[in-house]
Amino acid sequence: MIDAMAGARRRVAGVAALAVMLLAASAPAVAKTLVFCSEGNPEALNPQIVTTTTGMNAGRPMFNNLVEFAKGTTTVEPALAESWTVSPDGVEYVFHLRAGVKFHSNAVFQPTRTMNADDVVFSLMRQWKEDHPFHNISGYSFDFFRDLGMPELLKSIEKVDDRTVRITLTRPEAPFLANLAMPFNVVLSAEYAERLLTIGRPDMLDTQPIGTGPFVFQGFQKDVTVRYRAFDDYWGGRQAIDTLVFSITPNPAVRLTKLKAGECHVMAFPNPADVPKIAEDPNLTLLSQEGLNVGYLAMNTSRPPFDDVRVRRAVSMAIDKAAIVAAVYQGAGTVAKNPIPPTLWSYNDAISDVRFDRAQAQRAMAEAGYPSGFDADLWYMPVSRPYNPNGKRIAEMIQSDLAPLGIRLRLETREWSEYRRELQAGTPALALYGWTGDNGDPDNFLNVLLGCTSARTGGNNIARWCDPTYDDLVNRAKRLPDRPAREALYRQAQEIFHDQAPWVPLAHSVVFMATRKGVKGFVIDPLGRHPFDGVDIVE
Amino acid sequence: MGGIPIAIAAVIAAAAWLLLREADRARNGAVLAGSIYRDLLVATAERDRYVIAPPADRRDTAQRFASQTLRARDDLAALAGVARTPEQAEAVALASQTLEQYTAQMRRLTASTERNDRLVREMAERATVLTGLAEQARMRQHASNADIVTSLTEKDRRLRLIRDIVDKAQELRALVAAARLQAARLAEDGRGGAAANDRERGQAFARSQLRNAVLDLMRALEAAGRKDDAVTLGEHLAGLDAGGAAAETALVEWCERMLKVDDTEQRALHEELAQLLTYSVQANETEQATQNIAIAVLKLGQRTSEALGKRDIEAVIAIVRESDKLASTMASLPISPLIQTEMIDAIGEWRDRLFTTVSGLREQNATLWDMDRSAVELTEGARSLNDMFTGAADRLGATIRTILFVGGSFGLLFGALAGFVVARQITRPLRRVQQSMIRLAEDPASGGVSDSDRKDELGDMARAANFFVHEIVAREGALRDAVDRADAALEELRRTQATLIQAEKMASLGQLVAGVAHEINTPVGVALTTATLVGEEARQFAEEAKGQQLLRSRLIAFTERMSEGARLLTVNLTRAADLVHSFKQVSADQVSGERRAFDLRTWLNELLTSLGPVLRRRSLTVDVDCRPGLTVETYPGALGQVLTNLIVNAAVHGYDDGCGGHVRIAVREPGPGRVAIEVADDGKGIPPERIERIFDPFFTTARHRGNTGLGLHIVYNLVVQTLRGQIEVSSEPGRGTTFRIDIPGTSLAVAPAEAEVEAV
Repeated sequence: MIDAMAGARRRVAGVAALAVMLLAASAPAVAKTLVFCSEGNPEALNPQIVTTTTGMNAGRPMFNNLVEFAKGTTTVEPALAESWTVSPDGVEYVFHLRAGVKFHSNAVFQPTRTMNADDVVFSLMRQWKEDHPFHNISGYSFDFFRDLGMPELLKSIEKVDDRTVRITLTRPEAPFLANLAMPFNVVLSAEYAERLLTIGRPDMLDTQPIGTGPFVFQGFQKDVTVRYRAFDDYWGGRQAIDTLVFSITPNPAVRLTKLKAGECHVMAFPNPADVPKIAEDPNLTLLSQEGLNVGYLAMNTSRPPFDDVRVRRAVSMAIDKAAIVAAVYQGAGTVAKNPIPPTLWSYNDAISDVRFDRAQAQRAMAEAGYPSGFDADLWYMPVSRPYNPNGKRIAEMIQSDLAPLGIRLRLETREWSEYRRELQAGTPALALYGWTGDNGDPDNFLNVLLGCTSARTGGNNIARWCDPTYDDLVNRAKRLPDRPAREALYRQAQEIFHDQAPWVPLAHSVVFMATRKGVKGFVIDPLGRHPFDGVDIVE
Repeated sequence: MGGIPIAIAAVIAAAAWLLLREADRARNGAVLAGSIYRDLLVATAERDRYVIAPPADRRDTAQRFASQTLRARDDLAALAGVARTPEQAEAVALASQTLEQYTAQMRRLTASTERNDRLVREMAERATVLTGLAEQARMRQHASNADIVTSLTEKDRRLRLIRDIVDKAQELRALVAAARLQAARLAEDGRGGAAANDRERGQAFARSQLRNAVLDLMRALEAAGRKDDAVTLGEHLAGLDAGGAAAETALVEWCERMLKVDDTEQRALHEELAQLLTYSVQANETEQATQNIAIAVLKLGQRTSEALGKRDIEAVIAIVRESDKLASTMASLPISPLIQTEMIDAIGEWRDRLFTTVSGLREQNATLWDMDRSAVELTEGARSLNDMFTGAADRLGATIRTILFVGGSFGLLFGALAGFVVARQITRPLRRVQQSMIRLAEDPASGGVSDSDRKDELGDMARAANFFVHEIVAREGALRDAVDRADAALEELRRTQATLIQAEKMASLGQLVAGVAHEINTPVGVALTTATLVGEEARQFAEEAKGQQLLRSRLIAFTERMSEGARLLTVNLTRAADLVHSFKQVSADQVSGERRAFDLRTWLNELLTSLGPVLRRRSLTVDVDCRPGLTVETYPGALGQVLTNLIVNAAVHGYDDGCGGHVRIAVREPGPGRVAIEVADDGKGIPPERIERIFDPFFTTARHRGNTGLGLHIVYNLVVQTLRGQIEVSSEPGRGTTFRIDIPGTSLAVAPAEAEVEAV
């Protein structure tokens, strides 16, 4: 008994001594952690193989491109390339690389050299050449690279010397520099790839990324977190925050609750209904910007019944877009009539939107041979997107709108990264989707989302729509150097789109982001990027 | 002539004085060595305390250690100044070197311990950070929970309102449909000519029902704050009142559109409610998980400091493994992302530090082991220094004694010779006169003083004889004077001899004092150290007791240490007391030279005690075979010197250096009133050609080592002259040498035996 008491006393004394010791010593500095309540799982961590902004945003902190868009704009500025020259005929680009740029390291890789021309060549070749040892690993395809027509565009990629790369194109391409600034054109480490071949783990190139970016990959736990740590040797200077965490939180109400509780510092896409409350909250900052985006309903034109343009037109007429925008976007969006947002040049405002007309729609259905309608599946996004705050609700409203046509819709969804895969595989008949521009060029919408190149498994042309006239227009436009000429072609293309109705364009949204008051340097971006470099927490 | 012995005595005294000074110096060295020995013992104890002390107390212990070793170093430097022989200097240098090594090891230990202590402190800080983070997360979660409740309430309210609207709109739509159905049916019935009144009543009823339903929906819309919708609905009602199928169709369409919107909103709200509830459940789980982790970390921290305190490397390694597991648990648990990375980092750093402490501990344990070895070397070194300097003092004492003996013997010899010469100078003329006188007395008829008138030599002789005869009376006085002078010279010689003997005794006493001082020094030194440590231990224990930090194991350890201390004190102080007693007796014997009765066995043991240092130095063991209760009456001083000389002789000559040996003293009683003491060694023995000469003065085989060759001569003289006995020697080369002393032990020893016999 006495022993037990003595023991307890000793323990108490020990704890007390510990406490005294702790008071005396200054505690180690608490690491600065910035938590971003993101909207969903990234489908992968290497931006070369992702097509969603969620995936791109998850990859972005770890990488750099040759050239990048200045934060919050679509202006191209030097990044890993300090400077470049373009030949007068517009087909030869020579990039001069920045010196002393260090790559990250991880458990299996310690870089022995700084970034050089080999890395740039490797990063492009890997996506381009089908016989490249890193082309066919882990079942990924380089959809963005292909959707933008890069394989046909590129003629050669050469290392001139360690710090000079020459890229020759088969033809002049106006948006080429902007394309290089897009996420899929990140620069990977060729040395890391070599190392992975030696240890027989080439898959790690995409699952354990090594880049030159401001943050080093720490870990990804599906449905929970992606964790990063500040890169001490970042060429652009070490970040003010020590740790960056993407806390994967699909529901906007939960995201907001976490933001209010301080469990996260930045949240993606609040529920439009909650926007007024956020604006009032003294602890929070609401950020909004008219997004360079479009939310749409894609109809799979590759098979019946939506291969029939009359059916597609009937659907277009039967959907009450105004009600959807009013109920779901709650004033933070406008009804869409074109596949590109009104803020993007070449927007064809002359086109008048399809009128909501149920009777006309019923007649069109009858003409197409579906007087009593049909059964179809409608897929909706499981997560909120900047262009679509609530996929499910929109799907339900569409379901309700199409019921009078006798179209009985079965609602389907999948986990976000799987959803995208299914859509790109052409599984759904009807699918809700959307797009946020990557580079501020109409080609990024009109070609990537609706061109024939993208109308394949893995491509971004969800409607599988391939109209030769349209495709010719957008491809010609891409090669023209001057904007007015391109604009004319794009306006024409939009007319064809309007007539053929592969989509029902639903809305262009205002993008909202919310942060805690202490977050400094976070900028909402028209391209849907969430750049965390230069962000700090002051609380 | 008579001045020469005095001069010799003076020279001897001067030499002895000088040598005594040297001996003094050697004894000072011994004292220094003893003090070094003590300081080092204390330093070693401080090191032990340093190891077990809580980190906060380590600095003091380290300082005490430093001051102790510093003192030992200074004393060693002083001792180096006292050192006379290269052997001593070398031993001092070696001890200094070992001490340097020891203090260097302590510095290493201190550095390593400080490093480890710092790591432990940092780990504790990490643990606090972790618990702090967990607490923050908990507070945030609480705030969040409150917020969730507000959200849920708000959303629930909206849900109710919408549900109300949806219900009422559906009811309204159903009523409109029913009304239109009824109207159609009535139109057909009307053609059949049914009762107009019933028709009217039915329609009126349906209209008022429809109206009420519209009003209900309007109220529901107003309650939900949707005034615009309510106004629109009012317009529809007006149209309805105005009548017409178009109004009804418009109302139905409006209803359907609203239902589509509100129905989907209702479902969206449902979804949100479900998600929020799921989140709040998850948040609770998160909170629990975080708390559990924090508790696990705290527990691990406590176990770590215990394991580190016990220097238990195995346990620490086990904790390292556990912290690995904990880190992976942390990575997989739904901990708040805000702190998860930090927690994983913290546990990772903790683990790394712990891992470092393991190597630190290993290093420390190795250092401790080295230090223990150095400590043994050091204390052994200090002890042998002590022995060495004491031995030097002993040897100097022996030298003094030898010089006194040699000098004394020379003095005696020279004195005797001088006396003889003086005597001869006096007696020769006397003898001539005596011869003349005898001759004259033999032949008185020759004319007595015949030829005294002759002019020849005989006449001269006669004249001389006559003159002597005449003068004889006159000369008698002068003769008597000369004899008196010779007597005086002899007396003076005797006095010188007595002085010399006294001086020799004093020298022997000096040796004894040095020996005993050394012998006492060791137990008293140990006792002093022990007492200091016991006191310190008790003080510390009292503090712990006051601070209520006592563990049973600590108490047991304390009592064990106390018992050990008490045992050490008792043993050493008893030994010191025994020594003092022996010394009293032996010194009294040596000084007094008296004859007395004593217990031979006890006396022998006391004697051997005083010889301890010599025996130890030579690794000689001595055992005594003497029946208890044997009392003899003789001269203990002389007997002591005899035995001492025999034992020292055996030690010095009997064995090669450092190989040790065994001496056996056996006491026998060969006859009534006689005692035979055999001193037998098992050494090299004495070759036969030398055995005849061993009692001769100045015979030695070890003059090169400073021996005088007087030891056994003195033994012989003491046995034969003082003790009135005999001494015999027998020896066999390679088997050893035995001296047998046969002395009268007086009737006292016999008397009780006889009485006993009589009693039978």
